[in-house]
Amino acid sequence: MINLINLSKYFGHIKAVDRLNLSVSSGELFGFIGQNGAGKTTTIQMIAGLLAPTEGSVIIDGIDMAKEPEKAKKKIGLIPDRPFLYEKLTGMEFLKFTADLYEVSKEVFLENTEKLLTMFSLIDRAHELIESYSHGMKQRLVMSAALLHEPPLIVVDEPMVGLDPRGIKLVTNLFRSLVAKGTTIFMSTHTLRLAEDVCDRIGIINNGKLIATGTVNELKHTAQIGEADLEEVFFQLTKEEISL
Amino acid sequence: MKQAVILLNPRLLSFRNKGFAKDRSIRLIIFAAIGISFWAGIFAICYRVLMYFQSVEGLGNMLAYKLLSMILLIFFSLLIFSSILTSLSNLYMSKDLTLIHSLPVPSEKIFLAKWIESTIDSSWMVVVYTIPVFISYGIVFETGPFFYMAIVLTLFPLCIIASALSSIMVLVIVIILPASRIRSVFVFLGLALLVIIYITFRLLRPERLVNPENFASLLGYLNNLSTPSYPLLPSTWAFDSLKAALTGDVSCSLFNVALSMSCAAFLIFSGILIAKAIYFKGFSKSQASMTWLFQHKKERLDKLFSFLSGPTKSFVVKEIKTFLRDQAQWSQIFLIGALIVIYIYNFSVLPIEHSPIKTVYLQNLLSFLNVALAAFVLISVTARFAFPSISIEGSAFWIVRSAPIPIRTFLRIKFFIYLFPLLILSEILIIVTNLLLNVTPFMMYLSIITLFFLTPGVVSLGIGLGAAYPDFNSENPAHTVTGFGGLVFMIISAAYIGAVIVLEAGPVYTIFMSGIRNENLSYFQLLWIIGSFFTAFLISMLAIILPIRFGEKRLVAHSFAGL
Repeated sequence: MINLINLSKYFGHIKAVDRLNLSVSSGELFGFIGQNGAGKTTTIQMIAGLLAPTEGSVIIDGIDMAKEPEKAKKKIGLIPDRPFLYEKLTGMEFLKFTADLYEVSKEVFLENTEKLLTMFSLIDRAHELIESYSHGMKQRLVMSAALLHEPPLIVVDEPMVGLDPRGIKLVTNLFRSLVAKGTTIFMSTHTLRLAEDVCDRIGIINNGKLIATGTVNELKHTAQIGEADLEEVFFQLTKEEISL
Repeated sequence: MKQAVILLNPRLLSFRNKGFAKDRSIRLIIFAAIGISFWAGIFAICYRVLMYFQSVEGLGNMLAYKLLSMILLIFFSLLIFSSILTSLSNLYMSKDLTLIHSLPVPSEKIFLAKWIESTIDSSWMVVVYTIPVFISYGIVFETGPFFYMAIVLTLFPLCIIASALSSIMVLVIVIILPASRIRSVFVFLGLALLVIIYITFRLLRPERLVNPENFASLLGYLNNLSTPSYPLLPSTWAFDSLKAALTGDVSCSLFNVALSMSCAAFLIFSGILIAKAIYFKGFSKSQASMTWLFQHKKERLDKLFSFLSGPTKSFVVKEIKTFLRDQAQWSQIFLIGALIVIYIYNFSVLPIEHSPIKTVYLQNLLSFLNVALAAFVLISVTARFAFPSISIEGSAFWIVRSAPIPIRTFLRIKFFIYLFPLLILSEILIIVTNLLLNVTPFMMYLSIITLFFLTPGVVSLGIGLGAAYPDFNSENPAHTVTGFGGLVFMIISAAYIGAVIVLEAGPVYTIFMSGIRNENLSYFQLLWIIGSFFTAFLISMLAIILPIRFGEKRLVAHSFAGL
């Protein structure tokens, strides 16, 4: 579903992402972890078509993002870490706006909107202005909007920021059920416990370079740690940085 | 096109949802009333000027046409100016761009939607406030309905041309400049536009229209009036179209409209093609982190303010740094700089010696009025910078609330930070213009002292009322001055300046006339003069103290209410 080929991004002289190669299969929940400034968000922005890579390419379901960006973006539902929402729109108006842009049919829109708003406990507030929503509610609205057009790929940057425990459980279960139905999820997170619990495979990025990928067990093997959790594996693999 | 229209929906829906909120109706009525009175004022002035021109036998129409061509040239320059700023902001700096670019919409359609937004944003106000000028032409020239239709047909393509040209320019500049300098574009554009506006005014030399003696001969004067403008300028086509409509030449008017329309259509299609090629590249570049336009010496500010206590110093340094690093502020500084240059330039070309009133008297009268004018410039600068300085804290206001300093100190820091530059600005303004007017030393001292007390009063009103009516959620805090709090600030500041000027006017006239007549002042007159000046001083003291206290009270209540 996702193929990142020799992907690099420079901001001036700063190398944010350095020749990253990665493949994520359909129906896989891939966790992307790394320290602050490691290059997670830059990678996600390139996958979502928000940033043009300096070198390399992003292929989504066989479609080159650089050559056919609209076609590739239709396959993606993006959930950013700090979502922008039109504060003066109601939740329902925002969802309608998203549906129109993804050319979701009226029937699908009505059916999915009710289902999603009920699932995210927003149905009673759907006709209120977004500016009156709490941070968690805004985050849940963004998730509803991302799922509305039933994308085969969901790209999530820090999914649990601002969610209460009930929300976290809901999102965790939702991700697992979506993956079971064949949806691919690419998720960046700082919450190592979450990554360990839900992800099929994990990639660790450090200083813009993908230093390891695999299941938790494979990563333990790479880090040459026997019985340890993902946190210890992560510290072991990125220890050079930490010791600085 | 369908996708571009969908992209415009949030803006339209936001406008509707914003406009129909219940508590806004009174504010809307107040704004509408103010807007209509400005509109009526422009109409009245223009109508009187045109009627005066008509009374000048033989030259009336020529003067009216010359004025029309000047107005259209300025109209076009203003449109270009505001279009550059709005398209840069809408195409590259708007908060919703991250969302929009993640959607399956081609970049040229995003450009089209954002360009339509920019065109409306940049031109609606210029159009609304120039329409009374054109209507007054229609009435004075007693034209038929075609002229009014021609106004719409002419202004529409002119706005499109200005906006399309500006956005093409912005598309290209953003690609050419290094990615890390995108925000610096504001600074360069501001500087370039300052020069353009100054040159436009310099070339027009409007003062020469009322002063034929400056021309070597009558022929030269007539020649100046009837010289056609540059034929490739869109404002010239607009002028030719309106002039033809005024004289009833429908076909010539429509020909020029068609010329403008075809140019507008060509520019729109060129813009879309260019956007298709480079808009996303430019947007992607603009996401890179900024580097400094000017190299900052580390710790210099800390050393400069080392005499202040820790928390106070930290806020002072933060305030200065954030202000200087916010490049959007720079364009505003240049805009205000341009207005001040024009203001001073106008004084330098005032044809005082041609007035029938005695020159010394007129010079001093103008100097007195100049105090009021300079104070109004001060209000507009304060409204733009000091008033929004509280709202600019935005979602970071929690830092102020949790900091170990009282809100009062925070407001005082803001007050002093804006006071010193504004005091320097207003004093320079008054001294330079007074020197150009060659006023008496008494008027010079009086102006300097008056502004010395007016400036802290106005700044305190700006900070105090900005704190009383903050908007921490605003996407663009500079726009908070267009809200209710900004309106209250404008009204109270104008009333304050008006009161001080009225209190000083009588005594100044008495002192001045006694000087001319070489008479001594009576005890009653002296008492009256001292009383008036003391009352003006007292009002200024109240204007300095009360607004900050009011702002503090409201801001604390606002913070604790968790708003």
